[in-house]
Parts: sequence; structure tokens; C-alpha cells
Amino acid sequence: MQAFHRRRFVALCLAAALITAPVFAAELTVSAASSLANAFADLGKAFEAAHPGDKVVLNLAASDVLLRQLEQGAPADVFASADEVTMDRAAAAKSIDTTTRRDFAGNTLVLIVAAGIKVPEALEELNGAGYAHVAIGNPESVPAGRYAKQALVDAKLWDGLQTRLVPTQNVRQALDYVARGEAQAGFVYATDAAVQKDKVRVALNVPTATPVRYPIAVTAASAHAQLASRFVEFVVSTDAQAALGRYGFTSVAP
Amino acid sequence: MPVGALTPLLLTLKVALCATLLATLFGVLFARMLGRKRSVTRDVAESVLTLPLVLPPTVLGYYLLVVLGRNGAIGSWLLDHFGITLIFTWQGAVIAAAIAAFPLILRSARAAFTDVDRSLEQAARTLGLREPAVFFRVTLPLAWRGVLAGALLAFARAMGEFGATLMIAGSLPGRTQTLALAIYDAVMAGDDARAATLVWISLLLAIVVLLIAARLLQRHTP
Amino acid sequence: MMQLRVAVTKYLQADRREFRLDVSFESDADITILFGPSGAGKTLTLQAIAGLLRPDQGAIRFGGRLLFDSAQRVDVPTRQRDIGFVFQDYALFPHLTVGQNVAFARSRGWRQARSTDTANRRLLESFDLAACADAFPAQLSGGQRQRVALARALAATPQLLLLDEPFAALDAPLRARLRGELLALQRSRSVPMVVITHDPDDVSALGGRVVLLQDGQVRAPP
Repeated sequence: MQAFHRRRFVALCLAAALITAPVFAAELTVSAASSLANAFADLGKAFEAAHPGDKVVLNLAASDVLLRQLEQGAPADVFASADEVTMDRAAAAKSIDTTTRRDFAGNTLVLIVAAGIKVPEALEELNGAGYAHVAIGNPESVPAGRYAKQALVDAKLWDGLQTRLVPTQNVRQALDYVARGEAQAGFVYATDAAVQKDKVRVALNVPTATPVRYPIAVTAASAHAQLASRFVEFVVSTDAQAALGRYGFTSVAP
Repeated sequence: MPVGALTPLLLTLKVALCATLLATLFGVLFARMLGRKRSVTRDVAESVLTLPLVLPPTVLGYYLLVVLGRNGAIGSWLLDHFGITLIFTWQGAVIAAAIAAFPLILRSARAAFTDVDRSLEQAARTLGLREPAVFFRVTLPLAWRGVLAGALLAFARAMGEFGATLMIAGSLPGRTQTLALAIYDAVMAGDDARAATLVWISLLLAIVVLLIAARLLQRHTP
Repeated sequence: MMQLRVAVTKYLQADRREFRLDVSFESDADITILFGPSGAGKTLTLQAIAGLLRPDQGAIRFGGRLLFDSAQRVDVPTRQRDIGFVFQDYALFPHLTVGQNVAFARSRGWRQARSTDTANRRLLESFDLAACADAFPAQLSGGQRQRVALARALAATPQLLLLDEPFAALDAPLRARLRGELLALQRSRSVPMVVITHDPDDVSALGGRVVLLQDGQVRAPP
């Protein structure tokens, strides 16, 4: 080829690469509950490795906050919440594709205490002098808070503890307050406690009225529905389940 | 957990008023200390003191949490010597709002003091007055309008303080949940009706404050 | 007789313009006149005597008291020099009445001086200001303002009175009258005065020791 034609050919190839590149490389926005932060960071990277060119962007917050965003048209592709109630509301609002809804993990609610604080043996002990502040996710917008509130209501301790309860924006903030010692005790998931295991101690498992289940689904308005479905399938796959298990999540029977 | 709409309003007024008073006291003090002269040291000092204006509120909140928390430099001292905790209290909210509002008063006050005719302060000195007397009898009476304008700005800022307050005082209904926090919680909980009510109250409050500001600043214009 | 000895230098720089002040003179006259064109350094010299300007080098003595000495690191603060100053624009406190302005030096504390007692009223009468005791400086004529500035400075019973172009802003007949009043004042109170002027008529009317200043230096009289 003569020099002039060669240059035009190279330019054409570059243009083609630049124009077609976005079509093949997609960015997946995954709205996930705060307690999934660490686990989903790993899963996101694994998914990117298996799908070169695609990116996974994590949007973390309390499940209800994520639901609000979806209802207002936030461009998320996948929604993973920390309880069925929130996913049910998403379904009712037609924000998710219900055919893609799957349960992918379970968790345990625990009561943790800050370092140096006496470990209570029963929830009733929270009424004692050593627990001035007890961190709990705000039950109006945080599933962990709802589970904890239900447990306290069932144990008839809810009203008595009102002045000690510090409602937080998400379960990780509750964990942080206990880790700092600002709250002497708090309600978080076993997986959260593991993340800060050198600063907090698990006092006891809190039995919940309904088991803690994490559902995941593709959003109705997703612009990358196919890729999003593949992400959901990946999350329920054996490899991903093993990764979740390493963080302390329990697996759910399919 | 939610309380009526009156509680966040009263709490907001209490916190904002206390924060403004605190910020005005320190703002005037530091503005006087910075004085008229410009030097590298004074400019650096003013920049540091103005940081809360520029820092993202959550960064400010984080640093306050670290310093005022029970393991922090100031927090542990307060706890050991006075048994005082500031985290999760309305007093903590006052401190967060005061620090956020302080730079507004500092700048307004310094500008107002500099605007006072220097020869008036010099005349007071020739008449035998020491510096504090010069400040209280000449500078401050002539600069009060500028200081007040800064204080009103500070009050508005304190009323709207959200990020730093959320981190160190939390959003405890009836105790630290100011209007701004209450609106946020209502929206996150999907309670749009409550959010709307609180927003209307905030709007009315803002208009009232602006009207009062206009009257206070206009009265003595020749 | 009170002897005034001034020997100071000062280097000033602003916007690429330089000025060197290098004055040296002695006087034990009742009235000393600093005479020269504008920009000669007359005001700077007066400010140095009052302690409102710190010279780079030199010494200032008055009545046997050392007020400033760069070699011995002495710099008596303005308020302790016991020297009255009548500013060129009078520097009357705009937020205080005539009575309060004149009584200003009678309180050295943080609260404004009482202006309604007999002593103050008598002083106001002697300066023909009793009628406008409750007026504010903005409401006065030029001549009245000048008298307030004089009365205020003298109310502090200074050992020395400095006047910066005291008649500059007044019309000719008023000037003539006030020159006579100033002379009478000097004699009745025996307060030595240093007067700045660029008007030769002031020199002939007031008499006394004349110090010629030009371009920052003292010139020998022709």
C-alpha cells in the first residue's frame, strides 16, 4: 500500500475501535445494601475479570434508601437488599423485573459490644447502667434496624430502651459507633461484626422473627438487562456463594 | 420513633441560636486578633480558621468525631475531668453548627473592623484608652452592623447544618434531630407527607429570619 | 518651659513610591509651628511625636521624659504619652454626641464616660458648645467640629497638644477668629502646642518657633 493509503487505513481502524468500544464495554450499576459492601466489592472485581471491558459500579446505602432512589428513577441495573420487605416494595412499585428475583444469601443478627464493655448475656441486660448508648439502624429505613426492633418488641424491651437507642443511617454506621466506643452496644449482622472483629465483640445472636434473607433482582429500567442478568446468575453461582461464605454469609437453598 | 413537627423546629432554633452566639463570640475575638495588618502569618491563620467553610461537611464531621469522641484529644479530657460526653447530644450539635458558621462571622467581622476609620481608633488612644477599651467603645459600636450581618448569615448556616451534625450528634428524635435531619429521615423512610410538612416549616422559618435581618440592618440607615 | 526634642528617621514605601523622613529639631516655645508644603512630612512627624508612628531610628523627648529611643528600645505607648492630638479631619466619634465626645477621656474603662455632669458642662460652655451638647458630629458646622476636637483633646489635660492643619477646612474669616481663640487657649491653659500648617498667614498670626520642613527634612529658615 502506498504511504497515503496506509495512513488512511490506520486512521479508519482507530476510528472503528473508538466508536465501537463503548458498545461492547458496559458499566453495571449495582445498588447493594451496606452490609454487602466488602463481599460485593470482591464479587464486582471477579465479575469484571470474567467480563473484560465491563465495569461494576457499587452503589451502597441502606436498602430503603436504595429503594427510594429506584422509585425516583435512579439508573441502577441490579438491586440487592437486606430483607424481603424492601424487595417486595420494589416489586409493587414495578421497579424490578420480578422474573429475575432470587435469594442469594442469609445472615444472622447479632448484638455487639465495644472493647472494654461488659458482655451482656441477654438482651434485658441492655437496661443496665453500662449501656448508655445502643446503636441500631433506623427501623424506618434500615432492614437491620427492623429486624432488631422486631426482636426487641417481641422481648418487650423496645419501649424501655427508647432513650438509649441511637438510630443510624445504615448498619455500617451502627458498627462504626460501637467500634469507636461512642455506643457501648449495637445491633449489626454477624458479617459486619467480622469486618471489625478487633474492635467489637459479639455478645449474642439475636433471633429474628423472619430469617435474614438477601434477595437480588435486575431493575425494570436497566439499560443493560442482559449483562445485569448475568451478574445475578453469577452472584448465585457456586464460586460467588463460596466468596460470600468467606465473609460469614450463610447460603440459602435455591 | 417519629415525633411531631414542633419538636424538630424548637430544637433547630435552640441549636442555631446557641451556635450563633458561640460563633459570634469567637468570631469577633479572632477578627480583633487578626487586626488590620496583613502579614503571611495572619493570612495563614485566617485561612486555617476559614477551613470549616471549605471542607465538605462530612469531613468536618469526621474530624469532630475523632477529636470530640471519647477517645479523642478533647473528648477524653472532657470525659475524664468533667464526665461530659458531646457525641449524641444537642450540645455536640451546637459545636458542629458553631464551627461550620464561625468562618462567616470571622470574615464579616474582620472586614467591618477594618472599615472603621483608623484615625478614630488613634484618637481614642491619644485620649488615654487601652486597646480593649478602644475596641469596645469605638471599633465595635461602629462595626456592629457588619458583625450582625455576619451573625445572621451564621444563623442561617447553623439552621441548615446537616453533615457534621449527623456524624457527631446523630439524628435522635427529640434530642438532636433538627429540621434538616428530620426532613432527610422522612424522605429516606418514604414518609413524603411528613417531609413536605417539615420543608414548609423550614421555608417559613427562613423567610422570617430574612425579614428580621432586613429590619435590623435597615433601621439606622441615614 | 517644656522642651521638645525630636530627632528621628523613617523610611516608607507604598506603590513604588518612597519617602524618607529625617527630621531633627528642638523647641521650648509655647507654640511650635511645623511649616512646609504638602508631602513634606509634617503629619508623619506629628504622628511620631504622638506615638502613632514608630520611627526606624532616633529619639523623642518632651519635658524631660523619654518618649522614644530606638537605641535604648524605649517606645512609650500612645495612651501613656499624655499628648493630645487634633486630627486634620477632627476624627470625632460619629456614634457619640458632642457632650460624649468631649467627655470621652474621662473614662478609661470599657463603658462610655458620663457626659452630663457639671465639669463637662462647664468645659462645653467654655468652648461655646453648650447649645449643641446633644447633637451628633454629622449635624455640626466645620467650626463647631473643630472646637469639639479641641475641647475633647484638652479635656484629657495633656502635657502637649498637637494640631494637624487645624484651620485647613475653614473659610478665611473663621480661620482668623479661630487663630485668635487658639492663642488665647494656649495662654489660659499653658499647654505647649505644635501646629502644622502650610498657610503663611497662620505663621504670622500664631508666632512662636517655626520649623521648616521640606521633602522629609528640616530646612534652615531663609
